[in-house]
Amino acid sequence: MSWVQVLFVLLSLVAVASALLVVTTSNLVHAALWLVVTLGSIAGVFLLLAAEFVAWVQVLIYVGAVVVLLLFALMLTRAPTGRQDDLNVGRVVPAAIVAVLVGAVLVSTVVAGFHDVQLDLERAVVGSASVTGGTVFRLWVLPFEVLSVLLLAALVGAIVLSKLRADEPAEAGED
Amino acid sequence: MRFPGTGLAKGLAVTMRQMTRRSVTAHYPDALPDLPPRSRGVIALIEENCTSCMLCARECPSWCIYIDSHKDVVPATTEGGRDKSRNVLDRFAIDFSLCMYCSICIEVCPFDALHWSPEFEYAELDIRELTHEKDRLREWMWTVPAPSALDPHAEPAKELGAAEKAADKARAADLSAAEGAPAPPPPDNSAEEAP
Amino acid sequence: MSDLLEALLRVLVVLVAFLLLPLLVGQAEHKAMAHMQSRVGPMYAGMFHGWAQLVADGVKFVQKEDVVPRDADPAVFRIAPAVALLPYFVVMLVIPLGPGLVGQDLDVGLFFVLAVMGIGVIGTLMGGWSSANKFSLLGGIRVAAQLMAYELPFVLVGASVAMAAGTLSLTGIVEEWQPWWLLWQGIGLVVFFVAGLAELQRPPFDMPVADAEIVFGPYTEYGGLRFALFILAEYAGIVVLSALTAVLFLGGWRGPFEDSLGWLWTLVKTFLVAFVVIWVRVAYPRMREDQLQRLAWQGLVPLALLQLALTAVGVVATA
Repeated sequence: MSWVQVLFVLLSLVAVASALLVVTTSNLVHAALWLVVTLGSIAGVFLLLAAEFVAWVQVLIYVGAVVVLLLFALMLTRAPTGRQDDLNVGRVVPAAIVAVLVGAVLVSTVVAGFHDVQLDLERAVVGSASVTGGTVFRLWVLPFEVLSVLLLAALVGAIVLSKLRADEPAEAGED
Repeated sequence: MRFPGTGLAKGLAVTMRQMTRRSVTAHYPDALPDLPPRSRGVIALIEENCTSCMLCARECPSWCIYIDSHKDVVPATTEGGRDKSRNVLDRFAIDFSLCMYCSICIEVCPFDALHWSPEFEYAELDIRELTHEKDRLREWMWTVPAPSALDPHAEPAKELGAAEKAADKARAADLSAAEGAPAPPPPDNSAEEAP
Repeated sequence: MSDLLEALLRVLVVLVAFLLLPLLVGQAEHKAMAHMQSRVGPMYAGMFHGWAQLVADGVKFVQKEDVVPRDADPAVFRIAPAVALLPYFVVMLVIPLGPGLVGQDLDVGLFFVLAVMGIGVIGTLMGGWSSANKFSLLGGIRVAAQLMAYELPFVLVGASVAMAAGTLSLTGIVEEWQPWWLLWQGIGLVVFFVAGLAELQRPPFDMPVADAEIVFGPYTEYGGLRFALFILAEYAGIVVLSALTAVLFLGGWRGPFEDSLGWLWTLVKTFLVAFVVIWVRVAYPRMREDQLQRLAWQGLVPLALLQLALTAVGVVATA
């Protein structure tokens, strides 16, 4: 086993363990902080797979923005500083089943898609910024644009929803 | 029309201009401050002038002056005269932890025994040590500066005015004596001149 | 083996710079701010104009008791300062001082820098939440709100420079830089600097730590060494922001005699920007929370988008 493989296994273990902690810890903010560890180690895995650009996007967007947003929402709403025992609800078992099923689907998709393709880490350029940019804006430009339209729709929807609230205070009071 | 950002630029300019100027910091322990002569630093005492009249102690609003004295008998200097009695100061202390530097004691002293000294470095670690006795107050007397000169065109001091008036009168009398024929001798000149 | 040794040496040099430059900036702030307010600042420590004041402060901080509040979350409370400080060290590793004078040159250096700088805020958030103090919590909320508002223009103008240079590598950007970019990327320069100041919570954007109303925001419960680490993080942040501004917008080591004195140019530009950071702190009063948000969303974001459009037009026109 080369050191890349060792690191890969270690990072994956950290990612899985911290992901488990995210859903099992009874402290809400700890869950968010464990999420930082999970996302960070996934970024590390990306790095090991020569997907440099994706790794830093992962850090910038998920660690830097999404987790901060999560923490912000937590602090704004409840900000509990201790354990919360009402976090574990009765839907644990179905949730676990769904998680396992999703995992199985993902794994089988990846295995079916790539079989035994080997990534030559020494000369791989698949993950550099220019290759990623070229791929996204040449080969996958249509899905990319569709995705951006989706985001635009979400933005417009958010504005419409907040406008509705502002115009009809009576209705807002009802919900 | 005001160019946007003028206010922001002005703020920066003010601070930058300030930076190029000399600071106004007083470098106190390294350089002693230049205090005006009437600074109320500490109250000094000329023991010799004090008659233990207690005026200062009674007028003090914060009751911070302590005076102890006794009467001494001075034997008569002339034959058959009466013995004089004289107040002797035993203790004169000011508690500077109570003193509020109001200057009333100095104003009321009829014999100019109390004076302001600009000396201010008499901090102590214990509040009880802020009560200073007369020997310390006497020492401070050496730091009392001479009164500053009057402003130009200011009215002269009352004593000076009286003395000058008397001198003028005497001179006028002298002149008239020289002009007129045998004039009566002037009255007691020396007595008149004494203020 | 020599590769490893060289890498270690580079990390060591960056570590020394990381510990030294923030102190220099701090001392410069002490003195410049004092003189801008007609004072003289520290005068005694070190015998000559108080040059050792921050060293003395550090010694004092080390001696202090390590207090963790009873209701705090001890683990999170303890590691928060490290989380706040370390990203700046990592960022410093990739900022080039001159051609080849860099801890580690990265292909996606700009992206790396922007990504890692965002992590530091999590340390502040952790401190704000784990202190179990209402002021800390309020400060934490303000930090998060401020980061979310200013990260967008910050990244947008970063992207603008990358577009203009056609590369994400910091070294590459400096190589491509031309003096007339000062005009072309002028809006970007201002937006980057202002948004960076806001991300560092430096005055006039120091609402999260506003000492007059919420004591010291997320750092309220901190004392001793951990507090010193937070402050060090702030000053390391100033160094990183100044160096980034110098490298991205002011041409890094470009200037007369750049072959022999390039590194000096980078340092001079960095310190000039750091001086402006101090200057702005003295000149302007703290902004209110709603003004902060309005500046970000109604001022900086549109400006950043305008800059992005300008850059795009320029790139297409000259290509």
